[in-house]
Amino acid sequence: MNRCFRTILLSLAAIAASATVALADIGQIKNVSGAVFILRDKIQQPAKPGDLVQQSDVLITGANGAVGLTFIDSSRLSAGPNSRIELKQFRFNPTTQDGEFVTEVQRGTLAVVSGQIAKRSPDAMKVKTPTTILGVRGTTFAVQVEE
Amino acid sequence: MRRQIWLACLMLAGCATVKPAPKVNTYVVLLPEEGGASTAVIVGEGAQAVTLDQPFGGATVDSAGNIQRQASSAAQTDQIFGAALAAQPPKALSFTLYFDTNSTQVTAASRLQLDTLMAEAARRQAVEVQVTGHTDRVGSDADNDRLSLQRAEAVRTMLVQNNIKATFIRAVGRGEREPLVPTADEQAEPRNRRVEVILR
Repeated sequence: MNRCFRTILLSLAAIAASATVALADIGQIKNVSGAVFILRDKIQQPAKPGDLVQQSDVLITGANGAVGLTFIDSSRLSAGPNSRIELKQFRFNPTTQDGEFVTEVQRGTLAVVSGQIAKRSPDAMKVKTPTTILGVRGTTFAVQVEE
Repeated sequence: MRRQIWLACLMLAGCATVKPAPKVNTYVVLLPEEGGASTAVIVGEGAQAVTLDQPFGGATVDSAGNIQRQASSAAQTDQIFGAALAAQPPKALSFTLYFDTNSTQVTAASRLQLDTLMAEAARRQAVEVQVTGHTDRVGSDADNDRLSLQRAEAVRTMLVQNNIKATFIRAVGRGEREPLVPTADEQAEPRNRRVEVILR
């Protein structure tokens, strides 16, 4: 079943990949332990503290991996082992503090401390999982997704 | 093309026939807030949505989308999320340093704060530093723009001299535009002669 889904997803991804736009850096990796990678434009590279992240990046941790990031709106995300987290959408205006932040936890664990985006507008920060969507009202919480 | 569509339909049908019974896929838990502010996470959308607004309040969502409340505890949260929580970067911190009149010298009273700032900056991994200089309203706008930037640059220089390995340090001067304490023009105000530093 897994392979079956993957085939479909890959076909869909190939269609969607045509419109990728380079966007500004939205946050920074602060700490890394064990195996941690950033997947960007289909290229997976080891992550290290100080690396900048962009919208559409996927964070991947191995069996012993963990990673912590801070975003330009002061949101903080951290992931535990065997995680796959996509930074799906990020938009932030530092002057008005308006923005949008959508993260998808595809598997693993994610701890979230929301920042200015969620503070400014209650529906602006969301965390998706394969089965649900979480609306963030300015808060600290954690999500686990099991495949 | 038509053939591809048929193939996709067949694949989808194949997936559907082997779909297992719903099992728990997502687990969410609201954690105690650092500042103690009242907060919430809304799980799901529409009529079925569940609001978590108590510390360690939790919910599970299965593969069919069914949401069920399931309270947690500190011990259980630590067991599941320990590694993720341990990787949480420290909160952004801000510091205010005050300056002597018409000077880029930090006041004697701000020395301790300066030491705390340097120690905190040294402790952080991949720290980003935002330095913003300000003046009071004595003197011309142009002079104050220059002085505020010099104050910010003085703090940047101290960070560099203290071997702070920042991923970036941004120093800007805001002149007399953003007083901490509003005053009439040409009025001396020690609380406005300051540099604000944010560590992230």
